[in-house]
Amino acid sequence: MEEQLSLIDLVLHASFTVQLVMALLFVASMLSWYMIVQRFIYFRNAHDEMYQFEERFWSGVDLAQLYREGSEHTAEGHVMLGMESIFRAGFKEFSRLAQQSDMDSEALVEGSRRAMRVAMMREEERLERHLAFLASVGSTSPYVGLFGTVWGIMHSFRGLANATQATLATVAPGISEALVATAMGLFAAIPAVLAYNRLASRVEVFSNRYDTFVDEFSGILSRQAYALRSREKKAGAVAGGR
Amino acid sequence: MTTVSASSIYAKPVVPRIVVRPALASVVLHATLLIALTANWATSTPKTITAKPAPMVINARLVDASEFRPKPKPKPVAPKPKPVPKPQPKPEPKSEPKPAPVAKPKPVPPKPTPTAKPKQTPVAQPKEAPRPEPRVEPQKPSKSSADLAALARAELATVVAEEQSAAEAVATSAEMTASYAALIRQTVINYWSRPPSARNGMEALLSIQLIPTGEVVSVTVVRSSGNTAFDRSAMNAVEKAGSFPELQNLPSREFESTFRRFSLLFRPEDLRY
Repeated sequence: MEEQLSLIDLVLHASFTVQLVMALLFVASMLSWYMIVQRFIYFRNAHDEMYQFEERFWSGVDLAQLYREGSEHTAEGHVMLGMESIFRAGFKEFSRLAQQSDMDSEALVEGSRRAMRVAMMREEERLERHLAFLASVGSTSPYVGLFGTVWGIMHSFRGLANATQATLATVAPGISEALVATAMGLFAAIPAVLAYNRLASRVEVFSNRYDTFVDEFSGILSRQAYALRSREKKAGAVAGGR
Repeated sequence: MTTVSASSIYAKPVVPRIVVRPALASVVLHATLLIALTANWATSTPKTITAKPAPMVINARLVDASEFRPKPKPKPVAPKPKPVPKPQPKPEPKSEPKPAPVAKPKPVPPKPTPTAKPKQTPVAQPKEAPRPEPRVEPQKPSKSSADLAALARAELATVVAEEQSAAEAVATSAEMTASYAALIRQTVINYWSRPPSARNGMEALLSIQLIPTGEVVSVTVVRSSGNTAFDRSAMNAVEKAGSFPELQNLPSREFESTFRRFSLLFRPEDLRY
């Protein structure tokens, strides 16, 4: 006539290997939740800033002005996120190349496009940070938990070998504590898989938006490049870009 | 020159530092989960049954209980319910409607009883047989009262069984559980021999766990009376009672909600010293 086995007791009385597995899974769960929340906050920020920037960008503001505002922002310690950093990379490269008079307009656009591609890669890399961890927690932690369970059950049956009279009561606690490992594995895996799928699809959305932006912006830049070069040709002399 | 300086703008691995909130969220989530898993949800709302042995005077009136066994058959009407409740509930226990239910549901369905009763009584008889024997041993000092109590329990069992079969549709769940609670209380009191150190005002709260067959699976002291002997005696009483097979008749939903885990409050209020 004793109290029901409490969960804490089950964990504390488990064998060393099972405890190790449980600790591993607990840490994995903690980390994956940390990353889930961190990613969601980051994505929300990136999303908000993307919208803000797109609004600014298409509001007809002077691009040089926009660039300068961004520089001030970064100087204040503000972190440049997403679309704006793509814009800055492209614009900076463009203005730098435009100063070299021997560059024709195609080379100008091509150069800034390349810079934007690089910046976009960086952005995607930033977005995808930690996603690999979530994916591996999601796919491996059930197996790790299962390993703990199998090990625990092995142990409790080995103990049974010496017992002359095998009752359910002799193996039940062992099996029960071993099953905790599987439960923990599933607990760690399920949110990780869900979050991974969600985040991966959002990364996709983001990179599509960035792609579109790169195309749109390089369209604008090529228009400006042609205008610039034809003006220079008319003037027939070396002139500074913007 | 251009390429080198160009790479420096966006090659800066600026990763926004979002650390505190996610870390907090993760820790809080796991902490609440741990607490939720380890907290004993079952004890949050256990039904408390008070076991107060009645003074001997009232115990004598228990004989009345045998009278009302035949009565239910010839259709007891309004006045009868009142005399019935008095015998077993002694000094009114805390748990509310215990006394009333025994007789209440009867007025309507006495017609179906004739068929159902024969089935039910055999269920009750085996219970009567084994019970009286162990009871006499533990309670040497008050043999007569123990016998009476045994009788009363048998009565209660039959009445409860009858009520169950007769008024399946009529009896509300509250009344059913109340009558079973009364049965449990009575049984435990019968097995309870208080230590000499028991005083009025002592209270021991036990948490009891049953399985659907009515067997007691675990007894623990939730709130001690401060007197170890008294706590022991209360635990012994429950352990000696061992099982309440009558509970098998209870629908499993009622069983789960009230009797899977309940509290039993022991207080000797009839003591004169």
